[in-house]
Amino acid sequence: MNLMMVVGPVLLLFIVLGFVTYAILFERKVIGWIQNRIGPNRVGPWGLLQTVADVFKLLIKEDIIPAKADESLFRLAPVIAFVPAFAVLAVIPFTEKIQFADFAVGLLYYMAISSITIIGILVGGWASNNKYALLGGMRSAAQMISYEIPLVMSVVGIIMSVGSLNLHEIVEAQQKVWFIFPQFVGFAVFLIASISELNRTPFDLPEAESELVAGYHVEYTGFRFAFFMLAEYVYVFAMASLTTVLYLGGWNAPFGLTFIPPIVWFILKFSLIVFFLFWVRATMPRIRVDQLMQFAWKVLLPLALANIFITAVFKEIPVIGKFY
Amino acid sequence: MNLTGEFVAFFILSVMAIGGAVFMINFTRVIHMALALAFTFFSIAGIYLLLNAEFVAVIQVLIYTGAVSILMLFGIMLTKHRDEEKGSIAPWHSVLSFIAAGAFFGIVMWIIYRTPIAGEQVDLKQFGVARLGEAVFKQYVIPFELASVLLLVALVGAVILAKKEER
Repeated sequence: MNLMMVVGPVLLLFIVLGFVTYAILFERKVIGWIQNRIGPNRVGPWGLLQTVADVFKLLIKEDIIPAKADESLFRLAPVIAFVPAFAVLAVIPFTEKIQFADFAVGLLYYMAISSITIIGILVGGWASNNKYALLGGMRSAAQMISYEIPLVMSVVGIIMSVGSLNLHEIVEAQQKVWFIFPQFVGFAVFLIASISELNRTPFDLPEAESELVAGYHVEYTGFRFAFFMLAEYVYVFAMASLTTVLYLGGWNAPFGLTFIPPIVWFILKFSLIVFFLFWVRATMPRIRVDQLMQFAWKVLLPLALANIFITAVFKEIPVIGKFY
Repeated sequence: MNLTGEFVAFFILSVMAIGGAVFMINFTRVIHMALALAFTFFSIAGIYLLLNAEFVAVIQVLIYTGAVSILMLFGIMLTKHRDEEKGSIAPWHSVLSFIAAGAFFGIVMWIIYRTPIAGEQVDLKQFGVARLGEAVFKQYVIPFELASVLLLVALVGAVILAKKEER
């Protein structure tokens, strides 16, 4: 075991924490600009220390566990929610060299481990012993399970083209053409389903303030609340990385601009996806709960299946086939 | 027996799996039981991983730890989740079940030690996901399709049964 095996994950954790800190600030700034406001600008120059102050406030808050809550599960739930969020980062190839585990079934690993977070959310909602929290947890679980199916189905087209579940090989296969072009339907389905998996607007029904107060984490304060929020933003990091790897060619440089190092390309594409998530949040209204399920089962799933079928057919056509 | 990393990992994972199962039986609240069961499923995925069956391990997490556990939690939450099980079992009952479980354990161990494990070592690289796909969709395609039809029939049957109760 070399030193990098120990230091690497710790370093990644700090990078992710730094990302989360500034992603929150960036999100508030972007939404501010879109809504014709300035955004946070009081703490530090240009509001740079706003999130640091917010996190510090959360850490020094009183730690409250409701008297009638299931205490052990109440403590356990944020842990179950957060650990998978960080564990999925292990298989993501940031560049050709920077990857922690070159797992043969990396793509499925991501999908499988991320589904454990749902248990954490559900348990957190149940253990709070609060009706709003329980409803929020149930909604969240129903939504995340329903959208996981189109999410997995939309990437089957890529798996068929590459012939592998390994994320490294998927990036290697995109040296000439990124999968966003031949697999555009799959990309659209994947993007929508991933926003829903992240519980972000327009799919943030689990924490719809106007109807559920705040969803599954109503009763959580301080550090535990911070962990739920952290899990959510680490998933933003993970999902943006996965989208980059699957559809935007990972670290591959477009137009042969290879003098720019691969990690910069990765960060650029990654930032584009993150910005897109914030942009969608600022412009789209929340959709209704009955529309949510219909959309997943009647629109996204048939589209994803059609994408699989089209990929299979196009693979056999001589000229177009080489793109698939 | 030499102490390799694999052995240590197997020991920890099997203790986790058995511990989860024991806790599942001993807990009194249904939701704790379901969580203990999810923990057991997860540990079993770790054992598959040790056996180099990566695909099976990941599918175990996806289907059992993810989908099946959440389905159970959902079912519990929608029904009488505040109930606690009462320990109203007669003393002779536990003695009887202990004897039955011991006998079953004895039979299983006897079978394991009697069966010679045949076959030579093979290269594990050959048994990837691609090989699995070829086996399922070429060699065993008819049993596979039959199984999927069976699942579809079960699904449709469940919907019909649920619809009947509405009237």
